[in-house]
Amino acid sequence: MTTSHVPSEGNNNFSVSKIVDLFRPIFSAFRTPAGRVGLPLVLLHVGLAALGGLLAPYSPTDFSDLQYASPFTASETGTIPHILGTDQFGRDVFSRLLSGARSIIVISAVGSILGVAIGTAIGMISGYIGGKSDEVIMRVADGLMSFPSLLLALLVLSVSDSLAWLDGISSALATSKEPVLVVATMAIVHSPRVARVLRSATLSIKVQEYVDSARLRGESAIHIIFREILPNALPVLAVEGSVRFSYAILLASSLGFLGLGVEPPSPDWGAMIADSRSILTRAPWVPLAPAAAVASLVVGVNLLTEGIRDAQQLPSELPE
Amino acid sequence: MSNNNNQHESTTPLLEIKNLGVSFFTPRGTVRAVRDASLTVNRGEVVGLVGESGCGKSTVAYSIMGYLPGIVQVDGEINYDGNNLVGIDESELEKLRGNRIAMVYQDPQTSLNPTMKIGPQMEEVLKAHLDLNKAEVRERAVELFDSVGLASPDTIGERYPHELSGGMQQRVVIALALACEPDLLIMDEPTTGLDVTTEATILDLVVDLKERVNAGILFVSHNLGVIARVADRVTVMYASQTVEESSVSDIFAKPQHPYTAGLLSCVPRPPTAEGITPRLKRIPGSVFEARSEAGNECLFAPRCPIASTECHASAPQFIEENDRTVRCFFPEKVSGDIWGELRPRREQEAEIDSVVLTAEDLNVRYESRAGKKYILFGEQTESSVRAVVDANFEVKRSRTIGIVGESGSGKSTTARALIGLTPKSSGKITMNSDELAPNVGNRTHDQRADMRIVFQNPTASLNPKLPIKHAIMRSLKLFSEMDDGEAYSEARRLLEAVGLNPDYIERIPKELSGGEQQRVALASAFAANPQVILADEAVSALDVSVQAQVLNLLLQNQQDEGTTFVFISHDLGVVRYVSDEIMVMYAGHVAEQGPAEMVLAAPSHPYTEALLSAAPEPDPEASPSRIRLDGAVPTMREKFSGCFFAERCPRKIGAICDTEEPPEQTGESSDHVIRCHIPVQELSISIASLEG
Repeated sequence: MTTSHVPSEGNNNFSVSKIVDLFRPIFSAFRTPAGRVGLPLVLLHVGLAALGGLLAPYSPTDFSDLQYASPFTASETGTIPHILGTDQFGRDVFSRLLSGARSIIVISAVGSILGVAIGTAIGMISGYIGGKSDEVIMRVADGLMSFPSLLLALLVLSVSDSLAWLDGISSALATSKEPVLVVATMAIVHSPRVARVLRSATLSIKVQEYVDSARLRGESAIHIIFREILPNALPVLAVEGSVRFSYAILLASSLGFLGLGVEPPSPDWGAMIADSRSILTRAPWVPLAPAAAVASLVVGVNLLTEGIRDAQQLPSELPE
Repeated sequence: MSNNNNQHESTTPLLEIKNLGVSFFTPRGTVRAVRDASLTVNRGEVVGLVGESGCGKSTVAYSIMGYLPGIVQVDGEINYDGNNLVGIDESELEKLRGNRIAMVYQDPQTSLNPTMKIGPQMEEVLKAHLDLNKAEVRERAVELFDSVGLASPDTIGERYPHELSGGMQQRVVIALALACEPDLLIMDEPTTGLDVTTEATILDLVVDLKERVNAGILFVSHNLGVIARVADRVTVMYASQTVEESSVSDIFAKPQHPYTAGLLSCVPRPPTAEGITPRLKRIPGSVFEARSEAGNECLFAPRCPIASTECHASAPQFIEENDRTVRCFFPEKVSGDIWGELRPRREQEAEIDSVVLTAEDLNVRYESRAGKKYILFGEQTESSVRAVVDANFEVKRSRTIGIVGESGSGKSTTARALIGLTPKSSGKITMNSDELAPNVGNRTHDQRADMRIVFQNPTASLNPKLPIKHAIMRSLKLFSEMDDGEAYSEARRLLEAVGLNPDYIERIPKELSGGEQQRVALASAFAANPQVILADEAVSALDVSVQAQVLNLLLQNQQDEGTTFVFISHDLGVVRYVSDEIMVMYAGHVAEQGPAEMVLAAPSHPYTEALLSAAPEPDPEASPSRIRLDGAVPTMREKFSGCFFAERCPRKIGAICDTEEPPEQTGESSDHVIRCHIPVQELSISIASLEG
């Protein structure tokens, strides 16, 4: 540390250090066995989502005559063999898997981040303010939570045709309507659950004396909630975000399975399982490959959650 | 228990620890929790083991029991009845624990099983260790409950731990420890979590046990007053080493290690005969860390006022000479004066001018929600709790009012009402002739800036995730309207003013010690240059040497800035040291208030008298007064008649105490108020002399 003090330096670093702080609990999971397995698994999937389409050896959508080819069959058109074989239309399963990673991960991530953000804000504000409004907000959250999430998603998607303004949003985002709706559904489904957890964290933090001190300084409620309480709720937030992400993946693939995700013929893991479930006995690799992909991602995320939980509660203090 | 070691008794001490070393190996390096500790305990004597937090005294106690967690290395000898316990089998140690060596811990709540009644818990212990039939077990249990002074010993076994007060719980724990008539009883801070009045009764019990049971007691405590009360011999620890060992009277009268002398001069003492309160001395620097590797030098040398080159060049040994053992090269040089001359607490008496803060008929109720526990359902809630009832006081500029009382007396609630964290229910709070709103949110910027608070627990009052500059700089920015740069340099200046390295500014609270954290809290309270500072148990969690530093900082600030203090503490010694006026609170009511010297002298409210006689003095010659209170502070509900103190009052005069509110009586001067039915003339005669 230097003795010459440059206070502005601290301010410039403010946003960067803030973002680093936000991810610190997640990377802390690497200290635990569960995190050491989970974190690389998740990062692998995220890497595939970013680069998957580029790495794909074949077009994920083009049909070919080589149908039901078993894994590692030599290709007719390219030099690279069909690592995971081909499906009933002769498409390369491996390429479809790589290309499909992006949609499921991006949709789940955006959906869960949105849900966590909304839930965090609602939960913390509700918990901090307390009283009657807290009671009302939490009862509304209970109501939303009691509605089966898949059913809610189906409902949202089925009424979407009548909503013209949706077209505007989706075209602005250069995508079809469905992903936007799936993301919105995830936010609606997850935010009450996140709100609950963050509310209870806020309730236990807001009685701390440093929060009293901030009130005595005359800080605004927004400052207290986001500057004093939020940093202390980050470990909870990290665990909760991770849990929500894994549920979001399951929801996204379920919707894909029901044909409500990405429009065909774009590859989608859920849709891939649905399309090929009839050929499970003839070419088991076709449905099993996307199923394994979903499973490994969810397991990875759950292990990461476990790791964060352990790392954040790791007792490292010694007796006197 | 059969005693087959009578032949040893005269020659071998019951417990003899020789050059004990305990190291914990952790991922973050080796911790030398005990470097070199030696002590002996004989049958029928209480040995006090005293030291500040982190000095390894508890680790010594735990290593006797073999309770050491993690990867640990133990060196040296722990000779119990002539047998070395270091390195023996777990199964052999198991035979000793409970049977021959028993331990009493600090928190009785964690020692007792909350889901089991007291009786079965005791019977469980007796069955495990002694060969008795059912009737004998029951009989023995009652006997044990009786021996620790529990009221109605034959029925108390039917109660659960939560139905007992803290003092009664600790008695049960002691009874459990005595179950098998152990030869050695280890007590680790057994009274630290208890109120002074309860503490006094437990200490009486320890003294009584020593006389009744032929056991050796190792009594671990950080509190010199407690040690003075119970111990026959004292061993002092510093930086994981034992530094001095001698009889209790010698330790307090003629300490031979400079650290012991320093500790003693940090304890607030009653004013001298001339009415001068001596200023506390301070030990500079901080404790030698258990993580650091010790070189070949005296570990206390960096802080020692009489250290010479010899002290830095070689390490003194713990050697016996003329019946005392001390780890110092120059024990003959040690006296109280090495820590500086005796100075009066205040350099000059402040000019008393204006009244800064007044409270008129201050009342705080904890309202229960309208009828039902939840909005529409739930059981009917009890009537509201009266936390503060009709408190009236005023504090002048540059003066200090001390509020003293046990936990549950409403003293902290008073502070929270003054500052607006717990809104008052009625009454008036005025600061500089401005009436203050009940809630801090409704007060003006200037009003908030002029009254600041320091809480008890610095770890809780600093945000653990933010650097310490946050609290200080935010105060400066909000109250003094400084920009970032100004606030930053001012924050550094404030840290320096409270005796901290200004480079600590970027650290998070976890990287500082408790005393350092509390100084940060002080710096942020001083930041707005307030007129009034409320200190809510601000030094209660600190070690005695750190406490002295913080108290001196507060007094310095008062002298330099003319700050007014409201000083809240359960520790009468500390309150007596800082206060010009004292207000004694009990169950939300003001029992007695007035100028400090009048409150502390007769005539006194019976509660003040009990508090005074319970407060442990760091002086083994002080005659223990016999006024003891049983039970705990009651909770005041809305429907209440009679005197607030009647339930526990040792001087209750009759039915009038249960039916009528006590009148306000004045003592020597009109500002000395006592709320009691007993006429002032009678109150002038202390209960102790009445009995004698």
